[in-house]
Amino acid sequence: MAALTRIDVHHHFVPPAYRDEMNKKRPMQPCMQTWTIQNSIDDMDKAGTQIALVSITLPGLYFGHVEEARKLSRLCNDYGMEMIRNHPGRFGLFAAIPWPDVEGSLKEVEYALDTLKADGICMYTSYGDRWLGHNDFNPLFEELNRRKAIVYVHPHAAACCANLIPEVNESIIEYGTDTTRAINSMIFTGASARYPNIQWIWSHAGGTMPFLIERMVNLAKIPQVAAKLPNGLMPELKRFYYDTAQASNAVALGALKQVAGASQIVFGTDYPYRLSIEHVEGVAGAGLSKDEMIGIDHRNALRLLPNLAKLIKA
Amino acid sequence: MPDPHRIDIHHHFVPQIYKDALIALGSACPEPGYQPPIANWTEQRSLDQMDEAGITTAMISVTTPGIHFGNDAAAAKLARQCNDAGAKMVADRPKRFGLFAALPLPDIDASLKEIAYALDQLKADGIGLYTDYESGGVKFLGDKKFAPILEELNRRKALVFVHPTSCICCSNLQPDIADAVIEYGTDTTRTIASLVFGGAAARYPNIRWIFCHAGGTMPYLIQRFIDFSGRDKAATATAMPSGMMHELTRFYYDLAQTAHPGPVGALREIIPNSQILFGTDYPYGAGCLDQVKKIADCGFSAAELAAIDRTNALKLLPRFA
Repeated sequence: MAALTRIDVHHHFVPPAYRDEMNKKRPMQPCMQTWTIQNSIDDMDKAGTQIALVSITLPGLYFGHVEEARKLSRLCNDYGMEMIRNHPGRFGLFAAIPWPDVEGSLKEVEYALDTLKADGICMYTSYGDRWLGHNDFNPLFEELNRRKAIVYVHPHAAACCANLIPEVNESIIEYGTDTTRAINSMIFTGASARYPNIQWIWSHAGGTMPFLIERMVNLAKIPQVAAKLPNGLMPELKRFYYDTAQASNAVALGALKQVAGASQIVFGTDYPYRLSIEHVEGVAGAGLSKDEMIGIDHRNALRLLPNLAKLIKA
Repeated sequence: MPDPHRIDIHHHFVPQIYKDALIALGSACPEPGYQPPIANWTEQRSLDQMDEAGITTAMISVTTPGIHFGNDAAAAKLARQCNDAGAKMVADRPKRFGLFAALPLPDIDASLKEIAYALDQLKADGIGLYTDYESGGVKFLGDKKFAPILEELNRRKALVFVHPTSCICCSNLQPDIADAVIEYGTDTTRTIASLVFGGAAARYPNIRWIFCHAGGTMPYLIQRFIDFSGRDKAATATAMPSGMMHELTRFYYDLAQTAHPGPVGALREIIPNSQILFGTDYPYGAGCLDQVKKIADCGFSAAELAAIDRTNALKLLPRFA
């Protein structure tokens, strides 16, 4: 087996007890049904991935019931920690929280980061009609900022935009767009500048944000908008991290590099929706320099997760 | 600016009758409302902007919020009045202006009449559509509701300029962020997806489509498009017998509000230079000359830029040669 040099920040796990609960609501997709820890490890080995930071994908944790959301978050986080313990050096965890339950989320942050020593927190781009910069999130962001936490953000098909086009699945356009909305929300409400110690990782090369950069630049020039951006727009965009999942090609990565800089791009695969090896091949064919590719493989992620350096023998 | 030669495919005109219509709507005016760029527009300001930026010809169209505000008869009347006003601008300066005529969609019958009037009587250069219309829910251009319109435009080998609008799904989602920032581009992507995956793009091969803003966000999402087109191969073969990329690479894309090396580089990865057109979105944006300067910093060769500025558009609009 080749050397394992990659850090995958966008890799999903499906705790069996979580799967059972979801299947009662609406059967999960085939790749969710067949997921096992061993399948993840096999996929990682094929792609030269040393460690995958695992997170819970859609439909998420909250279905209108606080107690259920707390219970699901806890069982997922405990399962993730068991994976980490049983497979040393192969997994890390972006912990689930039962948001919009504020109290339960603060408790779960404490449990995940202090007791389980999770690597960060997983959030979704929107909850109901609230995107991440909304004032509702202030108590949570206050705490995550105090802890200098990593927050990995996964898209959600926002309620506004479900089933808009009969022939087109929501994942094609709406997931990426919701990431763009959350990034814009974080920046233009001033939340990104207000909580500078939170280290954000956005999925899918920033959704569609880099393509809409001219619109954002123009918005940031309006005086009352500029007043909320003490650092300006570009420093905020250039401090975020963006993963390569479902965007490992010259089109997206080329634009992302122009907007955010190659130093902010981290390897992500969206396994089990896509295979990790597809992303290795995609990044290799994206017209990046050798040095930029090493950055994407692990060096950029190690700035976020310096404790993993001992695992990477590149 | 020496050597005036540019053709601005994306340039708005705001006849007084249209200003009056938006003012009359008051607070019922859909996003973006009656804004200063619209309120302050005059034909002379357009000409001044064009002269400053080396634009010989501007293709004029009505901008958002469009023509139809819930009443079919009022929409048909407003479309006709705007088209007559645009045709007068063209008649006064036939080489300086061309017209993408407005339609009172989603009223199909009235729109078919307006197509005939605009193309046969007014000799308009093409038709302006919006990315979606509300008719028993949101409908994108590939929806079967619009089949009679596309059928007729295909028969006429029409040039169709598709401008984004604020989809009802996504208007005013966030107080700090105008719809134009994210939702316009996204709506262009949606209507492109509707046309290709719904089969209309292949079914009406003679329509020459122009999409705004470098395709909205479509190029950035290309991997999703490709993966999705490969998921159900039979459905894809039916909807797009020549393949998805065949359809996407025959469309035209303007550079309005996207003149930045990031999005322009992404567009060029998948779309040939022959399909890229100069556009300004005037009176929106920071002025026509600003757009010229920004495009100059996007890494095009002199030959590529000459094609984008003029000759690509001339293939669609030979009367300006």
